[in-house]
Amino acid sequence: MEIIGPVLVSGITTGALYALATLGLSLVWGSLGMLNMAHGTLLTLGGYAAFTAASQLGLPVPLAVLAATAVGGVIGALIFVLVAYPLSRRSPETFETTIMIATFGVALTLENAVLRLYGGQPLGQPLSVGGAINLGGFALPWQNLIIVVSAIALMGATALFLTRTKAGRAIRATAQNPDAAKLMGVPVARVYLQVLILSGMLAGVCGVLVSSITQLSPSLGADPMLKAFIMCVVAGLGNLPGAIITSFGLAIVEALVQFLAGARWGFPALLAIVILVLIRRPGGLFGRVEVRRL
Amino acid sequence: MVEPSNSPCLVVNGLVTGYDGRNVLTGISLSVDPGELVTVVGPNGHGKSTLLRAISGLLPVRKGSISLNGRVISGQPAHRVAANGVIHVPQGDLLFAGMSVLENLLMGAYLDSDQAAVARRLEEVFTLLPKLAERQTQIAASLSGGERRMVGIGRGLMMNGSVMLIDEPSLGLAPIIIEQIYEVIARLKASGRTILLVEENPARVADIADRIHLLDNGAFVWSGEPAVLLQRDELLATYLGG
Repeated sequence: MEIIGPVLVSGITTGALYALATLGLSLVWGSLGMLNMAHGTLLTLGGYAAFTAASQLGLPVPLAVLAATAVGGVIGALIFVLVAYPLSRRSPETFETTIMIATFGVALTLENAVLRLYGGQPLGQPLSVGGAINLGGFALPWQNLIIVVSAIALMGATALFLTRTKAGRAIRATAQNPDAAKLMGVPVARVYLQVLILSGMLAGVCGVLVSSITQLSPSLGADPMLKAFIMCVVAGLGNLPGAIITSFGLAIVEALVQFLAGARWGFPALLAIVILVLIRRPGGLFGRVEVRRL
Repeated sequence: MVEPSNSPCLVVNGLVTGYDGRNVLTGISLSVDPGELVTVVGPNGHGKSTLLRAISGLLPVRKGSISLNGRVISGQPAHRVAANGVIHVPQGDLLFAGMSVLENLLMGAYLDSDQAAVARRLEEVFTLLPKLAERQTQIAASLSGGERRMVGIGRGLMMNGSVMLIDEPSLGLAPIIIEQIYEVIARLKASGRTILLVEENPARVADIADRIHLLDNGAFVWSGEPAVLLQRDELLATYLGG
C-alpha cells in the first residue's frame, strides 16, 4: 500500500498542471468560441522565457516567472489583435472554424521560432527545487508541492477576479451574452482582448511549472494542450469549476492506470473515458449541449 | 421628472436597414419627445425588433440617421450608443443566464462608476419590482418567464439613459403576468420616463401610449392617437392582409 502515496502525488501534480492549462484554454473557448490551438505554444514560450531570464540573463526567480507571465500575456494579446479580431470581423459565421486553423498556423510558426532560437535539444529548467519532505512512508518532492500550491493559488485568484471584480463580471457577461453585454455599454472587443491576455498569462506560468518537472523542448506545451482539450470536452465547455475537478480526477485515474497497467496505457485510458462520457452525456459531465457559457 | 421641452429626445430619420441582402425597414421616421411613450405596433416579422436593434447600434444603419438629444448616434457601435444614453430592453430578455439576479442588475450599471448612485438606483428597482429583491441571489436561468422579464426591465432601469427601448414585453407570458408587466411600464411612464415601446398587440398598448405607429412591411402605414387606430381600416389590413 505504500505505493499509493507516490501515485497520488504524481496524479495530483499532473492534475494541477492539467487544470491550469485547461483553465486558460476554457476561458478563451467559453467566451469567444475560439479554440486556441496555440495555447500549448503559449506554455512553451512561458517556459523558455523563464529559462532565458533565469539562466541567460541571471535574473532572480520571481522576475523569471514574471517574464514568463508577461510573454504569455503579450503573445495572447497579439493573437487577438493580429489574428482573432480581424478574422471575427471578416466572417463571424465561420469564425469558430477558421480561428482553429489560423491559431494552428500561429502555433507552428512560434514553435519553429523556438526551435530556431534555442535548438531542438531538451534544456533543463533552472526554476526547479530539489529535495523532498519525508512523510513517514514516502517522500513528497518540494517541486511537486510548489506546483500544486502555485496552480491552486492561480486558479483561486482567477476565480476571485471573475466573480468579485467588475472587469471579471463583464468577462462572464460577455461570454454568456455578447449582444446584451454591448447593450449594457461593455466594449466587447476589449473584453475579448483581456480574456486572451489573462489566458496567455496563465499559460506562461503553467509552462514554467510544467518545464520544472520535465524539461524544456519546443513541444513542451503539446501534451498539456491535448490534455486540456480533453478536460474541456469531458467537463463540458465553459464550466470552469467542472473543468478543474475533471482535470484532477482524470489525472489521478491516469496515474493509477499508468502504475497498475504500465505507462503506455495512461492515455488510452483517458481517451476511453472521453468516449464513454460523450456517449452518455454529449454536453460533457458539467455542461449543457446547447450553450457555451462561463 | 422631465423638464417641459420642445426638442425631441430621440429622432429617427429615413431609416433603412436589414439583414444580408434584404432591407427590412425601408424608410422609417419617428421622434419621441421627453416624457412621452411612443409605440410601434405591427405583426411579427415586419421589422419592429429590427427598428430597435438599429437604434441601439446592434444592426448597422444603411440609410438615414438616428440622433439622441441632438447628437447623431447612428454609425456608432452598440456600447457607445448605450454610453450616450440609449437603454434597450431586448426581445426575449437576453439575460446573463448563468449570473444571479443581482449580478444581472449590476451589469446594467456597468458604465456607472458612482457607487452611491448605483446603490440608489438598485433600491429604486427593488421598490418598483419587489420580486427581484427576494430573488437577488437566484441564477437568472432558473427564473420564471415573468421574473426574467422583470430582470430585463430592472437591468435596463439600472442604466443611466435618456430613452428606454422596450421590445415586446408581453412575448411568451401568461395574460395575468402581461398585465403586471404593463402596470410596471405604466408606472415608468408616470415617473416621467421617455419610452419607445414595440408590441404586437395594439389593444394592449392603447391605454398607455401617447402616440402609435403602425408598422407594415418595413414602413409606417398609419400614425396617430391610439383611440383612433382601433377604428381604422389600416389595422385590419395590416394584420389580416388586404
